[in-house]
Amino acid sequence: MPTSLPSDVAVRLRGLTVRRNGLTILRDIDADVPRGGSTVVIGPNGAGKSTLLLCITGELACEGSITFPAFDRPPRMAYVPQHVQLDAGLPLTVLEFLALGGQRRPLWLGIAAAARERAIRHLEIVQAAHLLQRRMGDLSGGEQRRVLLASALARRPHLLLLDEPAAGVDASGERLFWKVLTAARQEQGFTQIMVSHNLSLTAHYADQVLCLNGSLMRAGAPHAALTAPTLRALFGVPIHLYPEQCEEPDETCAQCGAHCHSAEAPACPSPDAAPPSSPTR
Amino acid sequence: MLESLSALLPDLQPVADALGLLPLDCLHPVFMRQALLAVLLLAPMTAALGVSVVTFRMAFFSDAIGHSAFAGVALGLLFSLDPLFTMPAFGVLVGLCIMAVRRGSLLSADTSIGIVFSAVVAFGLAVVSRTPGMSRNMAQFLYGDILTVTSAELGFLALLALGLLLFVLIGFNRLLLIALHPVMARAQGVRVALWQYAFAALLSLVAMMAVRAVGVLLVTALLIVPAATARHLARTAGGMFWWAQAVALFSGIAGLLLSAQSWLGTASGATIILVACACFLLSTLLARRQGHRRA
Repeated sequence: MPTSLPSDVAVRLRGLTVRRNGLTILRDIDADVPRGGSTVVIGPNGAGKSTLLLCITGELACEGSITFPAFDRPPRMAYVPQHVQLDAGLPLTVLEFLALGGQRRPLWLGIAAAARERAIRHLEIVQAAHLLQRRMGDLSGGEQRRVLLASALARRPHLLLLDEPAAGVDASGERLFWKVLTAARQEQGFTQIMVSHNLSLTAHYADQVLCLNGSLMRAGAPHAALTAPTLRALFGVPIHLYPEQCEEPDETCAQCGAHCHSAEAPACPSPDAAPPSSPTR
Repeated sequence: MLESLSALLPDLQPVADALGLLPLDCLHPVFMRQALLAVLLLAPMTAALGVSVVTFRMAFFSDAIGHSAFAGVALGLLFSLDPLFTMPAFGVLVGLCIMAVRRGSLLSADTSIGIVFSAVVAFGLAVVSRTPGMSRNMAQFLYGDILTVTSAELGFLALLALGLLLFVLIGFNRLLLIALHPVMARAQGVRVALWQYAFAALLSLVAMMAVRAVGVLLVTALLIVPAATARHLARTAGGMFWWAQAVALFSGIAGLLLSAQSWLGTASGATIILVACACFLLSTLLARRQGHRRA
């Protein structure tokens, strides 16, 4: 399965197994994450996707090995969670949040000029510079996710881990998130591993997909990994992400009415395009 | 051994004497000057840690530490050791135990704390009930009495304040990051376990010193009321720190001086907390007014 040259592999997982409370959450995972690429981990709830990220951060103990062949020393990591534990009463501003990891001076002694400039620069990358003085607790879900991404980018990570970073965000907000993330990756050159449930955006933006359900069921480029049989095995329901992979025998899908076998259907389902190629369950 | 340790503590008596120069009649007695100095040392510490206690949602933790004072004192009396040594030592031990249980158990934080809390309180009460006359010694820890603070305790408070200043200079940002998301903090290179244990140990020490000032029953209030008031008044997280300092110092000084007035004659610890609660009430009204304006 792993095809990359050692120097092109940012993260190498070999025999990765995680057991907790007598349950095997991850079993014998072998995978390579290409350097500088966008790897997306998909799978149903409870598949061990977040556990995989926690193992890579070192938060969770595991059997097997996790190595970083492309790096001489452990890579600088950043982690973007689904959300942070904010209560509305905490008067933490976006500027302060971004300065938290970026300056040694405690927040109560003020924000250093360099940290402020860095915060503004990274907020601009995620198209959120206007949020600088807002309280974190006052942000919408989409705004908060972009601020979390800006905070991660400010670390100039070698390896960026994202755990369903756009969950609960509306379609346009999620699309914007993926777009700014891809632009930032192309500019900074970091390696990205993201957990996501959005199959169509995964198909459009990912370089590699890891299909996980306790064990690794499939890995590869989106078109090769996100096949109808794999998705059916993963989620237990028929999903045809690519028109030519539709399992319906008729020309028109009985469920969505899409002309699945249309010769004009694009090979890659663009999120800009309207459904015939949209996921159907 | 304890006496030789006491000799290493700084002598703050000249500073306490200097406070007598203030034009306040109630500061003429030596014990009042020492009490004021204790407030000036203790209030900034409880405020600084209180900000993190509120952010970590650890009010129950500090309550449990405060209540472990009983067991610490009881142990000291049982083994003929100075309770002023066994109390903080036992408090730190309990704090570290709670943090270990909290980090390693699948139980929720409040359940873990509740179990340790119950165990130490029951232990303290069991020891006290077994020894005739010991319950009388416990009263000073139940209600606290900052007016009886000793020179050695002032020296210890000064050292603790210095250590805590260093801790919040280095650890404030890190602790806030851990409170927001421990995994994110770890990925950013923060040694989460180390900082959590250090925080628990320092909080335990400060809580134990606060027990001497305001008593077991009010120690949590001293930690969280200034920080909660600061949340209402501050516009930034950095500002919250300074507001907590201001409220804690104001409550401490005003409460102590008010309690010394003959027309009031209340316990100093309780008066300090009442002033802090009045500040909180005022800040709540202000916050509501500002909220209406924003809406």
